[in-house]
Amino acid sequence: MTFLAHGLVARSDLPIPEWLFGWAAAMVLVVSFVALAILWPEPRLERVRWRPLARGIGRVLGSRPVEIVCGAIGVFLLGVVVYAGLRGVQTPTANFAPTFIYVIFWLALLPASVLFGDVFKAFNPWRAIGRVVGWVAGKAARGDLPAPLAYPERLGHWPAAAGIFAFAVMELVASNGDRPENLAIAALAYSALTFIGMALYGVDTWIARGEAFSVYFNLFSRMSPIETRDRVVGLRPPLAGLAALKPGAGTVPLLAVMIGSVTFDGASEAPIWTGIAPDIASFFQDVGLSPQNSLELAFLLGLTVTILLIYGFYMLGAVGAKSVGGGFGTRQLARAFVHSLVPIAFAYVAAHYFTLLLFQGQSIAFLASDPLGDGSDLFGTADSQIDYTIIGANATWYWQVGFVVVGHVLALTLAHDRAIAMYDRAKLAVRSQYWMLAVMVGFTSLALWLLSQANA
Amino acid sequence: MTAKSRPHRLRTSPVNGVPDAPSTNSRLPYFAAAMTRNQRIALVAAAVVVAVLAFVIAQPGDDEDGGDRAATTPAQTEIEETADGGTDGGGAEAPPETDEEPPPPPELDATRIQMRGGEVVGGAQDIEVTQGDTVRIVVTSDAPDEIHLHGYDITRNPAPGQPARFRFRADAEGAFEMESHVAADAGKDPLVARVVVEPS
Repeated sequence: MTFLAHGLVARSDLPIPEWLFGWAAAMVLVVSFVALAILWPEPRLERVRWRPLARGIGRVLGSRPVEIVCGAIGVFLLGVVVYAGLRGVQTPTANFAPTFIYVIFWLALLPASVLFGDVFKAFNPWRAIGRVVGWVAGKAARGDLPAPLAYPERLGHWPAAAGIFAFAVMELVASNGDRPENLAIAALAYSALTFIGMALYGVDTWIARGEAFSVYFNLFSRMSPIETRDRVVGLRPPLAGLAALKPGAGTVPLLAVMIGSVTFDGASEAPIWTGIAPDIASFFQDVGLSPQNSLELAFLLGLTVTILLIYGFYMLGAVGAKSVGGGFGTRQLARAFVHSLVPIAFAYVAAHYFTLLLFQGQSIAFLASDPLGDGSDLFGTADSQIDYTIIGANATWYWQVGFVVVGHVLALTLAHDRAIAMYDRAKLAVRSQYWMLAVMVGFTSLALWLLSQANA
Repeated sequence: MTAKSRPHRLRTSPVNGVPDAPSTNSRLPYFAAAMTRNQRIALVAAAVVVAVLAFVIAQPGDDEDGGDRAATTPAQTEIEETADGGTDGGGAEAPPETDEEPPPPPELDATRIQMRGGEVVGGAQDIEVTQGDTVRIVVTSDAPDEIHLHGYDITRNPAPGQPARFRFRADAEGAFEMESHVAADAGKDPLVARVVVEPS
């Protein structure tokens, strides 16, 4: 039992009952083998077909005025978060900043990305500011600005992996990570880093490849059937965006951070962690750290080890797939199948944070009216409350299990499509899939197990 | 990243030690092409039937009844205190299995929590109740405190000789923490108890 868990959570889920756990685990196996038997024999997702939305709607949605309005909204919200964090009351639940960052930005943008495509790119405040600065500088210089540096391939997705890890540390490890002031300072520091990255490598390059949240939400938006090309919003087959993902250095670690941090958040409430955390913390305390730092260090250790375990388990699958032959290296295989982890990462987040979004998300109604917690009532909603009865425990369980099973199916569909595109011989494609299937069954079983753990 | 590591190019690169040329035919025995459309549909249908059957069998029956009962009697008024000998945990007071004549939800005996020196005597415990129960919790403390039940958002201020009494209907399911704000301000573990509301 620790008191580190973020202060935004007023209610936690009941663990899924044993019978549902057993049923879901069995279903995962049934679904896997049925899918192997019936899935298509020729790759379908590798060639991306895309067509604009009908009647010029795609052109309107992608137009510059819409882009400017969305960007302005993004910049305004970033400003509100920083201002509320610095000037508002420091109770996490009474200040706009923590709920907006941890629930609306971090959680609500996720289903939005999966349904409607890369929404965050439109509202990204750093991109908007970067583009305006670039435009103004271009006017002022009356000539060509010096060309940005070429983005080093070695960097790949490593900056994004580091950024998402830092966010997870803020959310799950730092004991004051939900303090509004700290969040405002973190937002400012991250903005500064992003501006440096954009200045070095160019606004669009850094946004597409280095900026952690852009990369994160873009990965999920690749599940969506909606994609913007050349300022036109159009449709593509769902999941096709993931098949078109070009993995590079750091892509596998990024996915490991994404899945590992949710795993740790789930496990850190379960007896498996609450049983050993005090021992680890008291060890650090014996070394001479303060009780608070000891606990934080223990959590940092737990988070890091969880991410490494997730990474190691996936790499084990890649090693196995290598053993079937075909001439591909382990790293090559790990990168070739990493896109299939994205739906699994989505299932983890969706199942774990489903009720946090549904319940805590409601509090944005009164926080918007009273962002600083000083008693103001801008929109007349300051007295609204969270209704904890909108969804019951049974319905929650079914949704959670549904997310996990659907994520599993999407993942193995992607892996199947990639395998038949990669291997020239069907036998090898099938055998390599057994390994990837084992990895996915492992991840999915872990997700179900986490849901079945009694919170401590 | 080298071009070779790009998955969509892998197929065109020569594959080591595999002499036979790729052909669609070599896939046939392994994949769906070997099955007819009807066979595939039949397989999916069979899987769905298995899934549904397994779900119906695995799901405990009283769950459904409980749901119906809750649905048919949405607004039960709180009843007077009954002198039933229920334990602190509400689990013992599970309603009978028959779904004719649903009994009114029992009012549980009050759960007593004692705080001494800013800590819960015996450690923080789970208070397990069923949705719809009327829950009563009495917190006694040897020092003035502010006890807050999250979610239900009830705050009471116990003082020496003045226990804090919580009484509420457990409508929302889930686990809700009860915290001491005095302990939280002192940097101690603020957890007083957890109210675990199970579905009826």
